[in-house]
Amino acid sequence: MNVQVVYCTHQTTPLALRERLAFASVEQLTRAYETLRATFPQSEHVVLSTCNRVEIYAAQDEANVPPTQEQIAEFLSRFHGVPQNDLGGALLWQKGPEAVRHLFEVASSLDSMVLGEPQIVSQVKEAYRVAQDNNACGPLTHALFQGAMRVSARVRSETALAVGRVSVASVAVGDFGKSIFDRFTDKIVLVIGAGEMAEETLRYLKDEGAREIVVVNRSLERGQRLATEWGGAARPFDELDQWLGRADVIVSTTGAPQPIVDVARFRAARAGADGKPVFIIDLATPRDFAPGVADIDENVFLYDIEALQATCEQNRRQRTGEIERARRIVAEETDRFLHDIYHKATGPIISQLRAGWRKVCQDELDQLFAKHQALDADERRGIERTVERIVNKLLHPPLEALRDEARKGTPHGLMEALKRLFFTGE
Amino acid sequence: MANVHVFCFFASYVVALALEGLAVARRSSTLRALGFGFAVAGLLAQTFYLISRSNAADLPPLLSSSHDWLLVLAWLAVVFDLTLSSVLSLSGRGTPMGLFLLPVVLLLIGASDLVGEATSPAMSAATDVVRRGAEERALRGWGMLHASLLVFGIGGVIVGFLFSVMYVVQHRRLKDPRSVPSGLKLPSLATLARLNWWSVILSFPLLTLGMLTGIRLVYLSRNTQGPISFSDPLVVGSGLVWLLMVAFLSWLLRGDHVGGKQVALRTIWAFGLVLATLLGLQVLFNGHTSAPAQRGAAAQPESSAARMEGAARQ
Repeated sequence: MNVQVVYCTHQTTPLALRERLAFASVEQLTRAYETLRATFPQSEHVVLSTCNRVEIYAAQDEANVPPTQEQIAEFLSRFHGVPQNDLGGALLWQKGPEAVRHLFEVASSLDSMVLGEPQIVSQVKEAYRVAQDNNACGPLTHALFQGAMRVSARVRSETALAVGRVSVASVAVGDFGKSIFDRFTDKIVLVIGAGEMAEETLRYLKDEGAREIVVVNRSLERGQRLATEWGGAARPFDELDQWLGRADVIVSTTGAPQPIVDVARFRAARAGADGKPVFIIDLATPRDFAPGVADIDENVFLYDIEALQATCEQNRRQRTGEIERARRIVAEETDRFLHDIYHKATGPIISQLRAGWRKVCQDELDQLFAKHQALDADERRGIERTVERIVNKLLHPPLEALRDEARKGTPHGLMEALKRLFFTGE
Repeated sequence: MANVHVFCFFASYVVALALEGLAVARRSSTLRALGFGFAVAGLLAQTFYLISRSNAADLPPLLSSSHDWLLVLAWLAVVFDLTLSSVLSLSGRGTPMGLFLLPVVLLLIGASDLVGEATSPAMSAATDVVRRGAEERALRGWGMLHASLLVFGIGGVIVGFLFSVMYVVQHRRLKDPRSVPSGLKLPSLATLARLNWWSVILSFPLLTLGMLTGIRLVYLSRNTQGPISFSDPLVVGSGLVWLLMVAFLSWLLRGDHVGGKQVALRTIWAFGLVLATLLGLQVLFNGHTSAPAQRGAAAQPESSAARMEGAARQ
């Protein structure tokens, strides 16, 4: 099997260049596959293009069949109209076992910007599906990508690489909010300020079913814009106290230089809240809520950006601790995959060799038994067994050598030598 | 089946608990699955043990002795643990129920070892297959109802107690995220408060009915070998426990504006006291005692086969 990958990722290439090399639409991918098929008809291809990486996988049965690394780079350059000089050293290349390992690591989210993030598996699956739709796949890429899905599933089930949330908004809603409330469908969400972080948090809250969203902002116009976008209502800033008492979830992201809600203000606002739980996500720096607000009563749950980041960091550390285990699985699966592939490649030669030698033996034995008809059944069986043992002993060294070589890659040279040495008639 | 001893399932549950703890610390689903397997193995062993005991005493385990009654309670707790763990696991929430339930299970099994294995004198009368009449059948039926209601009522108390402990742990985690291991995933406060409420609401009528059937049982047992007296410490203690439950329930239903954590803490105190009293009474007084004159006669367990043999000799 000859597999190689030419790629650039978020780790090696700036976003500006990745954007230029990306295959942004299905149409663009279809055109790319048409070009690849036309230019390299003997090769199978899969293009993986996400916001963090652009990768082209190529696989062929035979060695020394195009494309080469340079030819793939040239294809990328020409297809996107990016001069080769602009690519510089941005494009990386792996071949053989390293290319297989790379794909397995990518699919297992070991190479992702956010370690263990789940989207990459779907993106790899989608890339494989599009390649199939464009008739760019063959037996090698089928085996390779199906193997990648299997490895990804194994890493997810056997390690904690994908356990725990790692973004502030997801930790706030998923780890803390969902530990307080059963559901968000009947909760009033108050957003103070209209910052970017508020939007991200609202996205998670909406995903959890939040319906009633109230935006209170000093600029009513900006508040209205945010409220409209998320299906909520904007209220003037002087209604803040009223909503502080009514809200179940409060997301605060103002740019105020000092806390806008102190203990006295919140205690007064909460007087009519009947002790119901309130979940406050203070994403502002400096903080919008005075730290003492959390101690007003046992049902006030206040999280500032520092507390949320600490949890994110803790989850990240736990994920990082799983890298070695995940890599061991990838290495093990890479070896198994290559062994299976190479075994398949050498299988026909081994069968042919055994069959050829057995035929020679059988012919010779037939002649021998024809000459010595006095031999009884036991004697004949004994001779047959002896000859079989001799054949096996003679075949053992070349077959072992073939197996040893197959562990490192398809042993084209040795396979060719065996063909020439033993199949002289073909 | 006859070779299964209490130690077999006790040890299985200890290992299951240790694995569950390790699974939380290391966030390992493999360890959790292994712990689940040990708990299932323990449950099977315990089931065989109870069947074997029941066959030997010719009585359902609930009636045969305090030892068996406590083991049935522990058995129900394990079934509840495994069922809930499976449901939560299938719904993608890996709440380590065993971490909370198994210590109680071990406590119940430990307590069962301290109480007598002898059949209650009153119930011995109900096992007499030779002379079983209408009165004995009634005694057996009421005894079964009484024991079942109490076992489910106390089961509810245990569950309520554990949900309250979980509420307090979850509340602590939410107030100070670093205070609790991050691998410990618990249901939301709202869910725990609701489950706690239902466990109180369901266990109270069960215990009340258990008390009422107990009074009937005292009445029915008066003509047996071992009549139960109203001054029996277990009867008196159960009455006090019931009064405590009444007080707690009325406080809960009064609907004062107290937070969920206060409810949980008071449930822990109330239910903890109920459990401690009931277990303490069982251990100290060895189940329902018979009248002093008859104690010696019915203290030893006797298989129905042996009793029948004796009857035949007469």
